[in-house]
Amino acid sequence: MDYFRILKRGAVAAATSYRLILVMWLTALMMVLLVALPLKSILKGVFDRSLATERMLDGFDAGLAGDMGQSFGYLIGAASFGGLLLILAGFLLFTFFAGGLFTRFTIAWGDLNVASFMKASARNFLPFLMLALLMTLIIFAWTALIIGVPVGIVAAVTEGSIMGSRLMLIPFIIWALGMPVWLLVTDHSRRWMAATGSGKIFRAMGAGFKALRRGFLRSYSTMVTLFIVNVLFFGAALWIATFSVPERGGLIFLFFLATQALFILRLFLKAWRYATVSELALIQA
Amino acid sequence: MRRLLFIFMFSMPLLLQGQAIFDIPLSERTTGYDIAAVLDPDSKTVTGEMTAWWVNRSAMPVDHAMLHLYLNAFSSNKSSFAASGRWSPAGDEGYGYVRISRLMDASGNDLTRSMHFVAPDDGNINDRTVLQIDLTAPINPGDTLKLNMLFESKLPSPIVRTGYNKDYFWVAQWFPKFGVYEPAGMRQRESDGWNCHQFHPNSEFYANHSVYNVSVTIPSDYIAGSGGLLLEEMDNGDGTKKIKWRAEDIVDFAWTAWPGYKVVTDKWRGVDITFLTSERGLKIADNQVNAVKYGLEYLDARVGPYPWPHLTFVDPPVEGSGAGGMEYTTIFTSAGSGLVPSFLRMAEMVTIHEFGHAYFMGILASNEFEEPWLDEGVNSYWEERIVDHYYGDGYGLIRLPFIKFSDADMARTSYIGSPSRQAATNNLPSWLYPHGTYGMMSYQKAATWLHTLEGLITTETMDNVFREFYRKWAFRHPSGKDFIETVNDVVRREHGEKFGKDMNWFFDQVLYGTEVCDYRVSGVSNRKITGYSGIVDGDSVTFTRSDRKSDTLYLAKVGIERMGGMKLPIEVLVSFDNGDEILEEWDGTARFTDFEYPGTRKVTRVTIDPDSKIDLDVNRINNSWTDDPEFPASGRMMTKYVFLMQMLISLFTI
Ligand SMILES: [Zn+2]
Repeated sequence: MDYFRILKRGAVAAATSYRLILVMWLTALMMVLLVALPLKSILKGVFDRSLATERMLDGFDAGLAGDMGQSFGYLIGAASFGGLLLILAGFLLFTFFAGGLFTRFTIAWGDLNVASFMKASARNFLPFLMLALLMTLIIFAWTALIIGVPVGIVAAVTEGSIMGSRLMLIPFIIWALGMPVWLLVTDHSRRWMAATGSGKIFRAMGAGFKALRRGFLRSYSTMVTLFIVNVLFFGAALWIATFSVPERGGLIFLFFLATQALFILRLFLKAWRYATVSELALIQA
Repeated sequence: MRRLLFIFMFSMPLLLQGQAIFDIPLSERTTGYDIAAVLDPDSKTVTGEMTAWWVNRSAMPVDHAMLHLYLNAFSSNKSSFAASGRWSPAGDEGYGYVRISRLMDASGNDLTRSMHFVAPDDGNINDRTVLQIDLTAPINPGDTLKLNMLFESKLPSPIVRTGYNKDYFWVAQWFPKFGVYEPAGMRQRESDGWNCHQFHPNSEFYANHSVYNVSVTIPSDYIAGSGGLLLEEMDNGDGTKKIKWRAEDIVDFAWTAWPGYKVVTDKWRGVDITFLTSERGLKIADNQVNAVKYGLEYLDARVGPYPWPHLTFVDPPVEGSGAGGMEYTTIFTSAGSGLVPSFLRMAEMVTIHEFGHAYFMGILASNEFEEPWLDEGVNSYWEERIVDHYYGDGYGLIRLPFIKFSDADMARTSYIGSPSRQAATNNLPSWLYPHGTYGMMSYQKAATWLHTLEGLITTETMDNVFREFYRKWAFRHPSGKDFIETVNDVVRREHGEKFGKDMNWFFDQVLYGTEVCDYRVSGVSNRKITGYSGIVDGDSVTFTRSDRKSDTLYLAKVGIERMGGMKLPIEVLVSFDNGDEILEEWDGTARFTDFEYPGTRKVTRVTIDPDSKIDLDVNRINNSWTDDPEFPASGRMMTKYVFLMQMLISLFTI
């Protein structure tokens, strides 16, 4: 059973990279805190010792925005602009780390200390960044084409009637079936770059597509599994975080720890995907 | 010959009496209109012949009549309506007007030459929305003035309250209509006179309850609805049909025609409900009809009966959206036409609001021009109560797992968030509100202080106030002062002198004043009571307190301040570490007060207005205090933000 063996080997490879994952987590946390801590002190300034935040416990009571007055607008503005900056910076940061991880899963054979990890990340950064930008663009185009266009057409034709909403499931399914393909291409290309040390992104993509063709069923089914696990985890984690409303100091700290554990798990899942694709390539070789 | 013709014409209404809706008239019926009109969808005109009558119920002869010619607001860019910037025509085709080509009184006198336009509100000589007719002979007390006229109404486009778009017709404020003749004393008026204001962008109504016999001829493929009871529909055999309606005791008559209407009918007790909507709007037809039923049920139980056996409401299609959100008592319009996402209860909110006007302006026919708060504010207050009662568990507008919004809070937010909230009192005529404050003041501020009044005198008393208001003033013309008098009577009856000899102190502030209400917890301290320690006659001494448990004795002190100029009685809930709770009452008139609690308890929480009765308080964040520095949960929110950002980064990074 190649399928389970590969997934398992990928998981082991990811799990034994826990030091690197912790480094990634810590770096990302510090970066996000740069924006979050000033936001927190603004919030503290607005609410001081008030009980008014009770109105946020069971869903945000929009009436509270009126009481917050102008500071509500400032907060939302700062949180969204800061968020946008964080997503951009985060994109660079995690693309950087992907370079190190793929090195870890290919040529380093599981032994990569933090300093070497950083070096490998730095070495791979530019080609990885170009590839990530390209593939992200392709995935956006794919999403717009498969979901955006049909949804637009169906909405226009049926004027948003009930028939329309059921029809819209079809593009979503096609979209979801296509996503593992794009992820496989991306990861195979990155693995190729990490393994060969080459920065030629189009050759890497060629290698990625080629790798996809070999043993397609095996790699596709593996990636579908990982994709589903990721989607489910993502949804569940956000759901938990959204609807948890710890009220007091100690509980809030526990909540913080729990969300960070969830994020570390999320990083592990990503590393698992990278490692599994690297294992797939090994078998194919 | 001519005389005979007139006798025949004027006896028509009597002939139609057999088809009356009410055996006993609901109102005095000071005015009435018999109209036969033809819609020409190509020229966008409604031409007709009208006989209108008015009864002089004053004690003095009246030598002139005043009529609204609303459609002339759209006849040029210089009318007071258009000059405000609220409307400009869609090309030259878009102008609208109403013209009287022949005007005669019952004696056959031609009055066409005694018509002239006046502008009582702003003196604008280009405003032709108020017509004065000088009569050949005064109308004596008790006598009836009958006017027969031929008129042509060209509908405007785009639709603002009235007009057409393509083949959609919303025919409102379309015929020459009497102003209200007010005898001295009515609405605290000092001398007799006509009350007939120009058409302003912000107000529409003040009219006598009237009887309408209206027939319209429209193309056969059009579907029509009106505020009247359908008497008959005849095919003319020439591609047109004639529809006859009768309406009694309503303040205005509007109708609509469009080939695309879908018709939904339903019933609530004795009321036949007709819903005209578009194909798209059909999918929310159930919601819409239910919203009307909720409105009927709620106001019937708390204010008074809905007397008419019929009601038509319209969800205009996209092309008729300018007609959305209008009220003509027995016909009104919703908005949204199925385009607004259903979790946002906007369509239901508009439906309930416009339905509510059947009571506030329809039955209780106040003067919207002069006292918009009594119309829009009172109606918004009830709309908010209904929406928050039937939907979303108190959060009627939005109730999703992560966000909620009550209709009452939307109004309050609009008021407290307005930088101009103190620019004017709440008692101005609609066209005099400065700096765009008309809507915020006459809808939202008024509704907010009505909620506050309810909080102070209790919901039960508030309902009784409106029951009494309805009992006394239904099918008459109450003023704001009449409303206040009703409040004073009912509050005195139910609460004695609890609020003073009357509630005028409240209205002086909220209606006639501009101050805001804001109370805050200024500070809380739990200081240990220690024994005496110091220097006495050169020696340092310490007197321990007789109480052995001295280290557990505290002086807990709660400071409350009045930040705003408005003075309202407030409640303060003080909670202690041993679980005790004390509800303090403060008349709120001084600038500050302190509550002190010596003993073994420490104060842990303070909440001003714990039951949220005082919606007028412009900042509720400073209304409470907790000893738990972590309570405000900025830590929780920061955690959520951090996690959300982390997840988003990992999502967008491949
Ligand atoms: Zn209204």
